[in-house]
Amino acid sequence: MSAAGDVPEAASRRLESGSFSSGLSATDFSACLQMGLRPVGLVQGFCAMQWGWYAAGSSLGRGLSPFGPSGGGGYQQNWYCPHGFVGGEHRTWGQNFEQTWVEDAWRTGFSAAFDRMLEEAESVGAHGVIGVTDTSRHLADTRVIEFHLLGTAVVVDGAPSPPAGTPWSTYLAGPRLAKLVEAGFMPVSVVATMASVRVWAYCITEFLMEGGAYGWAASMGSTAEIEQVSEARLAARVLAREQARRQLGSDTLQGIAFSAVEREIGAGDQVVECTLRGTRVRRFKDFDPLPPPRPTVRLS
Amino acid sequence: MLQAVTSLSQGVHRPDDRAVTSDLTVDESLLLHALGWEPVDLVFGVSVTAVQAGAWTWGRGQLQSPSDAHNLAVSTASSRLRQECAAVGGHGVVGVRAGVEIHPRHVDVALVGTAVRPIGSDRPPVQPFVSGLSARDFALLAAAGWSPIGLAFGASFVYAPRRDAATALRQSRQNVELTNPTQALYAAREAAMERMQASGLALGAQGVVGVQIAEGPMTFARHVIGFTARGTAVRLLAGEHRTITPDIVLPLNDAVVQFEAEALRGRR
Amino acid sequence: MTGPSDLPSGAEHRLEELRGGFFTSDLSVNEFLLVKEAGFHPLGFVMGSSIYHTGFQGRRWSKSQELTKLTEAMYNARELAMTRMEEEADELGADGVVGVRLDVNYYEWGSDAAEFIALGTAVKAEDGKSYRNRLGKPFTSDLSGQDFWTIMQTGHIPQGLVMGTCVYHIAHRGLGQALSSVGQNVELPNFTQALYEARELAMTRMQDEGTRLGATGIVGVRLEEKSHQWGSHTIEFLSIGTAVTKTGEVSLPKPTVIISLDN
Repeated sequence: MSAAGDVPEAASRRLESGSFSSGLSATDFSACLQMGLRPVGLVQGFCAMQWGWYAAGSSLGRGLSPFGPSGGGGYQQNWYCPHGFVGGEHRTWGQNFEQTWVEDAWRTGFSAAFDRMLEEAESVGAHGVIGVTDTSRHLADTRVIEFHLLGTAVVVDGAPSPPAGTPWSTYLAGPRLAKLVEAGFMPVSVVATMASVRVWAYCITEFLMEGGAYGWAASMGSTAEIEQVSEARLAARVLAREQARRQLGSDTLQGIAFSAVEREIGAGDQVVECTLRGTRVRRFKDFDPLPPPRPTVRLS
Repeated sequence: MLQAVTSLSQGVHRPDDRAVTSDLTVDESLLLHALGWEPVDLVFGVSVTAVQAGAWTWGRGQLQSPSDAHNLAVSTASSRLRQECAAVGGHGVVGVRAGVEIHPRHVDVALVGTAVRPIGSDRPPVQPFVSGLSARDFALLAAAGWSPIGLAFGASFVYAPRRDAATALRQSRQNVELTNPTQALYAAREAAMERMQASGLALGAQGVVGVQIAEGPMTFARHVIGFTARGTAVRLLAGEHRTITPDIVLPLNDAVVQFEAEALRGRR
Repeated sequence: MTGPSDLPSGAEHRLEELRGGFFTSDLSVNEFLLVKEAGFHPLGFVMGSSIYHTGFQGRRWSKSQELTKLTEAMYNARELAMTRMEEEADELGADGVVGVRLDVNYYEWGSDAAEFIALGTAVKAEDGKSYRNRLGKPFTSDLSGQDFWTIMQTGHIPQGLVMGTCVYHIAHRGLGQALSSVGQNVELPNFTQALYEARELAMTRMQDEGTRLGATGIVGVRLEEKSHQWGSHTIEFLSIGTAVTKTGEVSLPKPTVIISLDN
């Protein structure tokens, strides 16, 4: 089989050699063979992206108004000062907004690496890619983020060669994949999304998060929720979920790994970033209920 | 099995299903399915609550503001989780993971879990349950006739006065128990556990399982000892507890095999 | 069997005792039982080590490139440690070594010197057949006792621990470059390609080793990235796995569904 499109020279030579390599552990490897999947090669995809947190983390941040057209659509929520003060130091209004341009860049990086991995898989005639892992991390001390996806390409033993179009992919491998298939689901694709929400604090949020010597604050004694921040954090989570849902059609996103990071970037100001990854699966037959499981206790 | 796998080489589409998101593992989904339950949606509950300025720097005995903030944050987050669950037609949330962070000026609580329902059910209860139990624990409890109701939680922060200079000097070469922190820890624990029990009782629970505690001096205020506790409030639904008799196995694995593909990254 | 080579005299004596039938192993009890179940008997704990001085190679500030001299050093040092371990196993008349661990240790007595060490448990088949690889050497594998048993059940036999490495220097980005793309989160094709190339080189070298052993494939491949002591812009990409050949069919029993009451 000839190498497709722009699979690099080194990769196509490796993939064309007689033996396979697989990132599967012994357990996963044996479960894979047992279910009739044959590993054909380790496949990977990369994308290195320039990454600048302009208008977000930089000292220029205050100068570049987030309230202008840079909002870029998406989630946005305004907060107004109830005090009626006028002054340069008093933040009379605040805003939560979705940093759609950051999300776009992340999506570009991830999907470029993903597509390249699938290209490698197609070039070896694989039906699918199992045991996918993905990372995105800063390269050394450069302002570069590298997206890297890695998985094991497999063919279904005895099946006709795959139809045109991209192979399926899944984060699962081994016994878990076998169970999923037995339960009547087939993997469609790995799905990963990222949502980024910026909190531009108004006076009350700023005071509640950081304190400070404000005369007007003396009246605010009781325990209160910091609504602006709560809203932003919830919004980021829901956005990540809804982005994923938009890619699902009527399928199920299985085994989601969810993570959230909050980065403080000033008094009350922060960026909330949520990533969500899982395997999109589709039901292809009705579920045969499991035999009732037997409870066990380990002797060890 | 083979037939099932063969379909992996073709494309099958069933347009009648609706999109579902879930952070359950395959094992958990199958186990729930065996019980007649299915995942509906990944749901979230978040709350950030302010701690009164200066709350950590003075005071005697218990510090009211931080524990109020903690309880408000957990209960707000938990009721948002319930709302999200009800909105998607879930009967309850299982496997809730809680991130609780206590900062000098605010307490951050973030809950995430999967809303579940009996297969095909479209009549969600008014008050869905919230449970920190994994799907496996949920299944086992259900088999024994119990049901989770909600999260029970409590926190307490107690000021531990330093020894005065003369006492410290006198004791500098002795082995002595430091009574102030010991007493503070006891006071904090009692108050936090009491609050957790009270919140469980308020939910109509018969008990709290899976209690997790965090205790010790606060990193940003060493003179304050904090104690937080939370668990899942449960109630017996069946007439009486049904005993489960386990089989005994002697596994030859050294450890449970987790998602091994992670080993690819050299993190084995 | 090849004669004793450059093994130190202490090792000779220790191995002599092991030939008497007494065995040592770093296998856990579970692993021991499964290795026995797979039809092998542990012979002894074997190791090989090499303290290696890595040379210096100049790097160009703004150019991404492989540092071939360092690559060779890292490769040769590991190869030496592995070969010495294989020699010890050979002395014992072993068919293979399981549970191999390859480590790099740095000591205070030299900034560019490192100890490369390979450890494992030598095993011998109980059915009297030879399971050595096609180079006539004991097979090596980083599989645990459990994994070894599992792989044998799938009708595969390990051939050798295979590895490939590539030490790569990642270019610093000059001020001009950084400024030209301020405000844009865009792909940097040069970086993408450099990293791709570095990892591909490591993986291809590993696969070539597998081919030399006549392997059907390589399982349990790990990609490790370490900067050792070279600073953050110089990274070693190490790809390592166990080469296996297929000799039979899968013979694993169908698993039973259980639900564990343990945490």
